[in-house]
Amino acid sequence: MAPAQRCPLCRQTFFCGRGHVYSRKHQRQLKEALERLLPQVEAARKAIRAAQVERYVPEHERCCWCLCCGREVRKHLSHGNLTVLHGGLLEHLASPEHKKATNRFWWENKAEFQMKEKFLISSQDYARFKKSMVKGLDSYEEKEDEVIKEMAAQIREVEHSRRELVRSVLEPQAVPDPEEGSSALGSWKGTNSQVASASQQPSYLDLPPAPELDWMETGQPLTFIGHQDTPGIGNIHSGATPPWMVQDEEYSSGNQQIGPSYEEFLKEKEKQKLKKLPPDRVGANFDHNTSTSVGWLPSFGRVWNNGRRWQSRHQFKTEAAARSKQSHKEKKPNVS
Amino acid sequence: MSFLLPKLTSKKEVDQAIKSTAEKVLVLRFGRDEDPVCLQLDDILSKTSSDLSKMAAIYLVDVDQTPVYTHYFDISYIPSTVFFFNGQHMKVDYGSPDHTKFVGSFKTKQDFIDLVEVIYRGAMRGKLIVQSPIDPKNIPKYDLLYQDI
Repeated sequence: MAPAQRCPLCRQTFFCGRGHVYSRKHQRQLKEALERLLPQVEAARKAIRAAQVERYVPEHERCCWCLCCGREVRKHLSHGNLTVLHGGLLEHLASPEHKKATNRFWWENKAEFQMKEKFLISSQDYARFKKSMVKGLDSYEEKEDEVIKEMAAQIREVEHSRRELVRSVLEPQAVPDPEEGSSALGSWKGTNSQVASASQQPSYLDLPPAPELDWMETGQPLTFIGHQDTPGIGNIHSGATPPWMVQDEEYSSGNQQIGPSYEEFLKEKEKQKLKKLPPDRVGANFDHNTSTSVGWLPSFGRVWNNGRRWQSRHQFKTEAAARSKQSHKEKKPNVS
Repeated sequence: MSFLLPKLTSKKEVDQAIKSTAEKVLVLRFGRDEDPVCLQLDDILSKTSSDLSKMAAIYLVDVDQTPVYTHYFDISYIPSTVFFFNGQHMKVDYGSPDHTKFVGSFKTKQDFIDLVEVIYRGAMRGKLIVQSPIDPKNIPKYDLLYQDI
């Protein structure tokens, strides 16, 4: 058994040594791979004659996998704003290292000899491609200039139509307005040779004020509440102190401090501690601060009471009444 | 020893002590200052009061000056110690017939400290009656006087 070798084309490990290359499977894989590569190369070959130059688009960053060199190659050549289609691939195919790699690939994988030529680009072809590239660049520039000229013409047209509209609106107005309007228009015409959209803005400003004047006069009149100028006190325009900054007469500065006092702070601390205690402790809801009456008795489960704990107080009171009655009765015969 | 602990001399003062002690065990010793067993108990109470200051507040009450509470708490033997927490009376099962108060004196300071701690923990958990940790040998024996017999 030969040592284990990996065939990158089949993506498999094989143990046949040099025999693997001649096997049916390998040859099939090889044919498929070359078939995949062929259209790309053909497209590049076509570009030799008629090189196309286009504006740069992120799609032009795409890469093509060169089987022979075993690496990715940029398909299109881009510089700044422009791209030459298939330029990158052509460059790679014409390079000497690619030629060497292609030869090696053909020898190792035992591919068909005739096919090899199709994947190579000679240096003459590459020179031809360069010439056509220059031509392509020139034609591209001409195209761009044309487009720009077209856009300028369009903008000019739009502006002209707008001016006509403004003129027609301004004519029914009073005399000063059209004079102002036309003098402004005159200055516009002077700056019109530039292909800038800045001149569009003054036309916007002029249109709204004309209709505004109409509704301001015909609407509901506002309620007048009197002139608000008292001679002594200043107001916001004269820079007087605002009312909320004026010191009150009762306020004795230094006595009052903002925020809680020290005792309140301590009380807050106590409350915080209370919150941390378990909520179901005995007497959690016992009100410590209310005043107690004279006859108050604490909750005490007595020794000889007959009912529940909260009834013991009641029982005690009845017993106390009975006892005092008894002592009264005892005393009375003595006295009398 | 009794001059080291605060004394309560009227019902009003006792009421105030019960109402004002918050989140701590209130220990009320009912007795007379001159009684020998009371003196023993007072000694133990005063010596442990500072250690238990965060858990308990200890007061001495004279039985002759507060007859209302002497009747209400059924105090027939002195000294008797009653425990409160947040205005609620805490019962303790010592193994003796009366659970509402501790009759007599404690044998050691540690007994008293353990008892207060058990009461405190029970109160925090919401229990109104707890089991005493004191060895039954150390609990003073007495006969409960039956009422109305």
